[in-house]
Amino acid sequence: MNPSSSALLIIGHGSTVNPDSSVPTRRHAAEIQNRNLFADVRCAFWKEEPSLRDARFFFADRTIREVFVVPNFISEGYFTQTVIPRELELKGPVTTRANGQTWIYCEPVGNNPIVTKLLLTRAHEIAPGIEPTETALLIVAHGTELNDNSAIAAKREAERIRARGEFASVGNAYMEEPPLIANWDQLTNAPNVIVVPFFIADGLHSYEDIPKLLGIERTGPEIFRENPHQIRGRSLYYAKAIGTDPRFADIIVEQTLNARNLTHAG
Amino acid sequence: MKEPERLLESLVTGKISRIGQLEISLSENGFILCHREDVGRIDLQQCQVDDAVEIAKFDDKDRYRPLKTAPTLRRGWKIFANNSEEASRAIDAIYPGRLAVLHTFKGGRLSTTSLRETLNRQSGMYRVAAKISDEQVDALVGNFCRSDGGCLRTILWKRDERKTVPSAKLPPEKFDPAADQMGKGETCIPLLCQEACNLLVAACRDMVKMEGAASSAP
Ligand code: SF4
Repeated sequence: MNPSSSALLIIGHGSTVNPDSSVPTRRHAAEIQNRNLFADVRCAFWKEEPSLRDARFFFADRTIREVFVVPNFISEGYFTQTVIPRELELKGPVTTRANGQTWIYCEPVGNNPIVTKLLLTRAHEIAPGIEPTETALLIVAHGTELNDNSAIAAKREAERIRARGEFASVGNAYMEEPPLIANWDQLTNAPNVIVVPFFIADGLHSYEDIPKLLGIERTGPEIFRENPHQIRGRSLYYAKAIGTDPRFADIIVEQTLNARNLTHAG
Repeated sequence: MKEPERLLESLVTGKISRIGQLEISLSENGFILCHREDVGRIDLQQCQVDDAVEIAKFDDKDRYRPLKTAPTLRRGWKIFANNSEEASRAIDAIYPGRLAVLHTFKGGRLSTTSLRETLNRQSGMYRVAAKISDEQVDALVGNFCRSDGGCLRTILWKRDERKTVPSAKLPPEKFDPAADQMGKGETCIPLLCQEACNLLVAACRDMVKMEGAASSAP
């Protein structure tokens, strides 16, 4: 990476109704900017400003020769494969603009194996001191979104963690399709249950919808500070959306390094 | 210094110090930003450059602002910026992307995209938006993008490749980068709209859907 000639563009979904949707993406951008790894670090969003179309006009300095585009998305899917390339006018993994600047399209953050580590770390952090062999881990995803592979990615993560044999059980659950997160107590046997939302940002799903389905009476951002919740005879630990973890900034940087290795390999 | 910062510096030293609802003034050691209607007030809350994102997020009634160029910027604050880099960062948080687009425009390299082209490009749930009629576009854009209550950007895009104006309901000033969209006739840095935003595309879709629902009703 050349800090004086490389720039980073982080792409988020954003929202026209949820003020928290773009917060993690902006935080990761600010964090990476502070590390001085890139000449410039910017965000762009599908549903917020600046738009993906605006982003085509960023990085005007002649000194910037390459722009890394990293989708802050939990999985490959409709947005990473159709919307982002179309709106940014990317022709493939590497696009050369009229001014000679190279735009390198990286894989979404969710594809990086560090995500598995972060899921594990988060599980241990929100339930400190409890015995993993007496604990079930549930990774919850939405499940029915158009062309979205987040359910597949969530399954892959559960498999990887299960293979480590640390927890009594590791499973997937969904909001709108079986196995339903509402049945969390039937999906698990252990006395302790950890639930981690497999989303890029907090919002209505993680503040309200999932807590309701879990049977947590209070909703809102404070619920993450009230672990464990004693419900249905179990100790339930409920985590924030995985994408709010500040270490996602490391993943974003990693994705640029991985893309560079790929595009410069041959 | 990055290009848009250089541009900002030259504009502000040339005394063009308004952008949208923002007033930017030169102080001894930097820049002061506040709401245009708060100029001269002494009871403004002192804020940091990093607070700008939050300032832009909610209006005076604490409602979320999905469109940052809507004329609903909250009042009662001022931000001190040490240099043009910090000032640009604050402006970019309040009006995201606008300085970069302006810089491209000033350099004669800004390409605009007609509304029909934007709509025809959509996929998924937005594909249906392309079915909107020209008459509906005229009415919708005339209301949705209007500077008094809708959006403070100057529209540079056309309705279609025939270069039709987006809406006959909007005054000529809406398409003039030299005009003050706040209607005060002051010299301003324009907030440019080079292509219909996602909110307008969504509104086109809603209009098509609504008509579909109305015509299939018994
Ligand atoms: S299309 Fe442009 S002028 Fe109209 S509301 Fe969106 S940003 Fe404003």
